[in-house]
Amino acid sequence: MGEKGVRKGAIRMGSIKRVGEGYRMKGDDRRGISRRQFLKATAAGVAIGLAGDPSLLCAAEETDLAVISGEPAAATKKALEAIGGVARFVKRGQRVVIKPNMSFAKTPDFAATTHPLVVAAVAQACIEAGAREVLVLDYTLQRAELCLERTGIRAACKTLPGVHVLAMQDRKFFQEIRIPQGKVLEKVEVLKDVLDSVLISVPVAKSHSTTGVSLGLKGLMGLIWDRESFHYRFNINQGIADLATVIKPSLTVLDATRAMTTGGPGGPGDVKKPNLIVAGTDPVAVDSYGVGIVPWYGRNFTGRQVEHLLIAHQRGLGKIDLEKLKIVKAAA
Amino acid sequence: MKKTVQTLSLLLFTVLFILATYRLPDWLPADIYLRIDPLLGINAVIAAREIIPRILWSLLLIGATLAVGRFFCGYLCPLGASIDGLDFLFFRKIKRPGFKANARLRRWKYFLLIGIIVAALTGVSLVYFMDPIALLTRLYTFVLHPLVIAVLNMLLDLIRPVAHGLGWVGLSHLHYIQPVYYMTAVTLIIFGTVIALSRLEPRFWCRTLCPLGALLSLISPLGVFKRRVSEACNRCMACQKGCPMGAIDADPLKTSTAECIQCRACARICPEMAITFPAAFSGVGEYSRPELSRRGFVASLAGGAACGFVATQTPFTLLEGKHQLIRPPGAIPETEFLRTCIRCGECMKSCVTNTLQPCLWESGMAGLWSPKLELRMAACEPNCHVCGKVCPTQAIRSLSLEEKTYARIGTAILKKETCLVWAQNKLCLICDEICPYNAIVFRPIDGYRRPVVIASRCNGCGYCEQRCPVKGESAIVVVTDGEIRLKEGSYVAEAKKLNLEFKPDPGDDKFLIEGSGLKVDQEGQEEDKRLPADKPVPQKPRGFL
Repeated sequence: MGEKGVRKGAIRMGSIKRVGEGYRMKGDDRRGISRRQFLKATAAGVAIGLAGDPSLLCAAEETDLAVISGEPAAATKKALEAIGGVARFVKRGQRVVIKPNMSFAKTPDFAATTHPLVVAAVAQACIEAGAREVLVLDYTLQRAELCLERTGIRAACKTLPGVHVLAMQDRKFFQEIRIPQGKVLEKVEVLKDVLDSVLISVPVAKSHSTTGVSLGLKGLMGLIWDRESFHYRFNINQGIADLATVIKPSLTVLDATRAMTTGGPGGPGDVKKPNLIVAGTDPVAVDSYGVGIVPWYGRNFTGRQVEHLLIAHQRGLGKIDLEKLKIVKAAA
Repeated sequence: MKKTVQTLSLLLFTVLFILATYRLPDWLPADIYLRIDPLLGINAVIAAREIIPRILWSLLLIGATLAVGRFFCGYLCPLGASIDGLDFLFFRKIKRPGFKANARLRRWKYFLLIGIIVAALTGVSLVYFMDPIALLTRLYTFVLHPLVIAVLNMLLDLIRPVAHGLGWVGLSHLHYIQPVYYMTAVTLIIFGTVIALSRLEPRFWCRTLCPLGALLSLISPLGVFKRRVSEACNRCMACQKGCPMGAIDADPLKTSTAECIQCRACARICPEMAITFPAAFSGVGEYSRPELSRRGFVASLAGGAACGFVATQTPFTLLEGKHQLIRPPGAIPETEFLRTCIRCGECMKSCVTNTLQPCLWESGMAGLWSPKLELRMAACEPNCHVCGKVCPTQAIRSLSLEEKTYARIGTAILKKETCLVWAQNKLCLICDEICPYNAIVFRPIDGYRRPVVIASRCNGCGYCEQRCPVKGESAIVVVTDGEIRLKEGSYVAEAKKLNLEFKPDPGDDKFLIEGSGLKVDQEGQEEDKRLPADKPVPQKPRGFL
């Protein structure tokens, strides 16, 4: 009897909590709709739009985000097509820098690093678009050699001609640039190769113990030399926004085939499998969408609730509100 | 033939040295030269007072020397090859003074051998100082390897603009991480002395000082091949002058078998072709005893014992029990470790992060050159377990990666006085970010989120200590407390007994937001005018508003 009573009580408490949460979200949201509602609405809107006007399918340039579900390689390929093809960004004879996250010497199943097949698919698309060469670059946190090996990215790109996977760990490969619009950073040392190439950011979706999530914008910190000062000298969220004013990827391909929802950035953490690739030209929009894909630390968030994304948005670096975006969704 | 074999042997030694790194395959004994060295073996066994299986490889060399003679010095010894090579470079055209007291001086190597063995009996391993293979491995580790990398990088920097211009991406981005070590200068001085001594006589080191040569010469006179001079000899004494080991007496017909390394230089020099090296059973040949004076013998006994006394009867020995230094994962208990380790430097060479460094005086004379971890400089890589694989005496046990993970080398402790979060409320959590085991978590304490170490999840890898942005001493340091040092048996089993778990529970961060009851801050609310550092941190994952 007693046991039953306890269980009853537990259920009741749980339900109260859930109701309370839902209520709070509704009450506090100025738009008056929940994230889920508006996602549905957006999807529906896009679907109606697509059905009603087939020309939208071709007008990929007007598409802000391509969200494709499926296996890593196939989904990436389709996402690139949906956003208008890599040829939109990569002209014949250009040099491309792909910035994956390969900072940790961890295998892909930890979701601490970008899936090797996603990186390879993007690299291959660049080569097919006529890129002179493709450099897959990251300034790794752990030993370069180990990162290249354990993440599987080097092996995945091995057979692609013209693609070089490199982990830079020496200051001589960096060059100082000024940040005219910097709030906390006046100048920063950036990987030289980024300065004269087309930059494609290919981050992985993961949680981050300082910035909440680590997606595309946070991933740009892998291109600079002194990132430790971000953690103690100034507000890291402002720093990321400052960085985004000078390092502007032409395209961001977010690898959410897996997402490390706790324990990031290094892991190990709780890995979910959304099986999604999100591609877009607006780094803030891609990240903002990425925030809504999975609950982080067991809880749902929107892009506006991520400090560095909000700051970047407010400084005019990209759109954060998903309802203002044209999103194409498909399965590969 | 001798030069070819020597070159090949030195080349093999070099290749094995280069291969002794993170990716060393399990089947490849990169430390084979050290393993077959009977002097190292005997000493480690005496000092550690037990049979070390890997050392049994040295029976190979003992057997071969018994059968053939002291060929090792002339053909296989990589230090001998280096000495010969550098001799050819530097001293070929120089008239050397020569020594009248040659025969007396060369007894020194026996005295050294006796001294070393007596010291080993007292429990002090001194062999590393003089053993040729250990000496050369140290030179390779602390001097040559860093030097080669430095030169390579310099050349790469020189051709970088060209490579860049030609679009050679791989080459234009190539850079090798420079290894650095504490004892480079000391090691170089010692090796330089060994080489410089050849200025006096060819192979002065081998004739006079090498304790391995002494050991081999004791058993070599039983060997099969012996120098024989036929009646054609006209006593021109060319062979005596040409012998690099000074193994030919005033009477050119006689040979000091113990000194002869069978290089056959004499046979080549002899104008009458009177010298041959036929196979002969040892019983037939002469057995030349090393001429040790009684006084010298007693003095070397006393010397060895004195070394033992000086090295053991110090506060360092008492402090050994406190385990002051962070030793490599899998290092056997400290006292046994110091006795068994032969200071070859192979572990430090192979260490993928360069955290393994030689001790200077941190653990006294008994700990010179022994490996310790310099975690402020680099961490111990969780994916690497190569130091044990290459340890010839298994002072660092060869462990599987899982066993190595549980071979805890220490525990991180957080110093609240200097930690940026604890002392200054800064938004720092680099230690948490980098920890491979989630052993550092943030807990709400007095309204602030503070990092704390969960000791049962920390195996002392040191990533936190290395990365801590506090200048000077890290605000989070790994101490030896909690280390697991086992002479035998499973580290995993031991760690389980102690309730340690180095595979973290991914859900740990959740407690931060469960039941927090705080309202989620929304945009447009009254702005908090306080500095970010002074705001009480909301109980929500960091970075979310």
